[in-house]
Amino acid sequence: MSVTLPEGDLQSRLERYLKGFRNRHGLGESAVEGNVVRLVVEPNILPEVLATARDNLAVLHLSFITVVDLEGSFELTYELLDMRGGIVRVKTRLEGEEPVIDTVTNIYPTANFHEREAYDMFGIAFRGHPDLRRLYMWQDHFDHHPLLKSFEISTKRTFEGLR
Amino acid sequence: MLREERRAREQNRGGRASGRLAGPDVRDEFGIETLEMNMGPQHPAMHGLLRLILELDGETVVRCDPVMGYLHRSKEKISENRMYPSVVPITDRIDYMNNIAMEYGYCMAVEDLLDAEIPPRADAIRALLNELGRIMSHIPSIGFLLLELGAFTPILYAFRERERIQNMFEAITGARMMFHYIRIGGVKADLPEGMPEQMWEYIEGLEKRLKPDFMDLIEGNEIFIARTRGVGKMTQEKAIEMGLTGPPLRCTGVSYDVRRDYPYGWYKNLDFDVITDEAGDVEASYRVRIGEVQQSIRMIKQILENLPEGEVMADLGRRIRPSEGDGFGRAESARGEYVVHVVSDGSDTPYRVRYRTPCTVNMQLLKEIVPGHYLPDIMPIMGLIDPVSGSWDK
Amino acid sequence: MSLDILNQEPFRFLISFGAILFLVLNLAAVLTMAERKVSAYIQLRYGPNRVGPRGLLQPAADVFKLFTKENVSPSRADLWVFLLAPIAMFIPAAAVWLVIPFAPGAVVADLNIAIVFFIAITSIGALGVIMAGYGSRSNFSLLGALRGAAQMISYEVPLILSLLGIVMLTGSLSLVDVVNAQAGGFWHWYFLPQLPMFVVFYIAGLAEARRVPFDLPEGESEISGGFMVEYSGMTWALIQASEFASMGLISAIHVTLFLGGWQPPIDALDLGSFNWIWFGLKTALIIFTFQWIRWTMPRLRMDQLMDFGWKVLVPVCLIWLFVTAGAMLLLPSVF
Repeated sequence: MSVTLPEGDLQSRLERYLKGFRNRHGLGESAVEGNVVRLVVEPNILPEVLATARDNLAVLHLSFITVVDLEGSFELTYELLDMRGGIVRVKTRLEGEEPVIDTVTNIYPTANFHEREAYDMFGIAFRGHPDLRRLYMWQDHFDHHPLLKSFEISTKRTFEGLR
Repeated sequence: MLREERRAREQNRGGRASGRLAGPDVRDEFGIETLEMNMGPQHPAMHGLLRLILELDGETVVRCDPVMGYLHRSKEKISENRMYPSVVPITDRIDYMNNIAMEYGYCMAVEDLLDAEIPPRADAIRALLNELGRIMSHIPSIGFLLLELGAFTPILYAFRERERIQNMFEAITGARMMFHYIRIGGVKADLPEGMPEQMWEYIEGLEKRLKPDFMDLIEGNEIFIARTRGVGKMTQEKAIEMGLTGPPLRCTGVSYDVRRDYPYGWYKNLDFDVITDEAGDVEASYRVRIGEVQQSIRMIKQILENLPEGEVMADLGRRIRPSEGDGFGRAESARGEYVVHVVSDGSDTPYRVRYRTPCTVNMQLLKEIVPGHYLPDIMPIMGLIDPVSGSWDK
Repeated sequence: MSLDILNQEPFRFLISFGAILFLVLNLAAVLTMAERKVSAYIQLRYGPNRVGPRGLLQPAADVFKLFTKENVSPSRADLWVFLLAPIAMFIPAAAVWLVIPFAPGAVVADLNIAIVFFIAITSIGALGVIMAGYGSRSNFSLLGALRGAAQMISYEVPLILSLLGIVMLTGSLSLVDVVNAQAGGFWHWYFLPQLPMFVVFYIAGLAEARRVPFDLPEGESEISGGFMVEYSGMTWALIQASEFASMGLISAIHVTLFLGGWQPPIDALDLGSFNWIWFGLKTALIIFTFQWIRWTMPRLRMDQLMDFGWKVLVPVCLIWLFVTAGAMLLLPSVF
């Protein structure tokens, strides 16, 4: 069975995506810049926004999930591609020290490894993830999340101190 | 007659051992268990340090769980502590078979933050080296695929090509492998005198050598076909769902290539085809890679014919200090879609650098596709993904 | 005491047995060097060329190194089985050389059932592989042993069936008779009337010697050494020696059965009792083709290997046996 990728003029496609999102969800900010549809959403409706992107707007490819530790909150960026020139960039912000958000692996199964990496590096818990383990760091005895700003690279710290 | 039948059956079956696994009642009666085995981090044929936790039923894999992280070098954390130009050598070492694309993605991301104009000659040289780097990576990939199938010779032929390209890179950039050549704003220095002619000679030679040295010796081989046709068969939906990009995706028939769909740099002026193949198995990925080498040769010829004159580095001032915001650089590395997301806070060092390496995502294929295949099929499937451990582990 | 006493049993047998053992061990050593050189030239590089003139002393260096290495064994290995396995692999590869005729009248043991002896002793090689894999008590070794057992036992069937045509044509099970029946020039050699059997024996011989494309028990890529992964030092050297010895053995038997043994290709080139030179040349040629195939072809997967053995080779053998029998009945003057 083959997959058909969207055709047609890029600008009109991007406008269509923007309208599709605006019609269905209450968004924070939304705009079209260049070839990017930028959206800012609340974390609780994020999975629905992504489900709209995939099911209704045929934006099929989740390129990556970035987590930025803004000491005090976390900003997640989900970048979706329709593989023909259009980009949908969804940003959301999680407050607090113990961030929790719903998983999107049921919508975009590729998010499995991205979310595992986010958990490993930042400690973000994804509700409903089928297999939330660490990806890179040691899976036992290591309780730190390395990419947090509070985890300092220190030449004085020994290997034993880490575990 | 027997051979045709066998091949047709293998293709339909996809090389899987369907129906061979003993049913639950037989298992309980005889106390049959599966064998849990490690294809450990130390292994002569792994593409790096990867631990595969396998559950085997005889020779059939029931579950395959990749455990990564043995080469994790915390590149993202290091990048936060280095000034923008000093991060380029860090990116070099992410995918050590195709370094130039890694540098390119990062530099594009920072240039996006700075809104910089790159001089056309720098763009052309970047694209030229990117394509040479792609050839440098794809030909050994094919060699590795065959090495894992047990043919020891093609890899040496492949490394002969790679050595020749590395010699050219050494003349241009000063290093055989970790180039540090694509810098923010352009490239480090112009091509040496006579280099375009030398490159032209090499490319013509490669074009003539590709068929007799590689394609003719590999494609018709019965054993190669028997080992790779039908193995690792994927549908297009599954491939997109798993987030595959690059040759693993294109071998199923989905035509997605960052160079054509999200064009960057000099690729807007180049004329090339995106190679896809409908079969979706290991043999298809081999054909996609050989096709991409041929397209790269075509692109290099186009660039060499119309190499613009001018300077090779934009004047971005002595200090690279972008304003606050996000910069995104998306490049097509030999293994797939490579994205760098740089978050800047206005200081000398990036606030956050995220490397979306294609191999991390492509490795999900192992979890999904390998169960149902035989144990010796794991290696050709790794040849389909063609991972590089620096790339999946960062 | 005249030297004639050495020509009587048991001295003759003991001396020639010693000579054969010497030959086999040296063959194994020389073949390591030959393999490396052949592989190097196929891969467009030079092989070892530092030790001695043009690298000819490399086997000596290899043997010396292996003698000085520590014999490591896994802690939970079954030590008796683990250590006896290399011996169990080497003895069959060495023992069959006793029945091969090197030159007219130069056979260590002129058995009149030499072919049955060959088949019986070669089957023990499979036992050695199982002992090695089982005794190591490690997952990879176990897989290698199981694969080795399945492969070697199932490829014995085409191996044996392909000999039967020759037995029918010669009317005897003795290797000396087989070689004598091929006298008169290469058009009398058995590879011409038995061409399919020639090919089948060659392929089955590759499988028995565990060479690529049938080296899955040793599968370097998936199970990194398979049944021999836990061996090092002299034990490993013995396994390697047995592998090369069995490769030499299969070539020698192949030559004896199908290519005329010590018979010269044209009668004019007959060298009398120096015909072992012809035997040596032909065996070297077959060994070279074994190595050539090893370095150019990928390996078959287990199920494809078994399919090929049972579904292709065995029917070919059976059909050609009928053809041979039919030809013998219909053309009694020729056969």
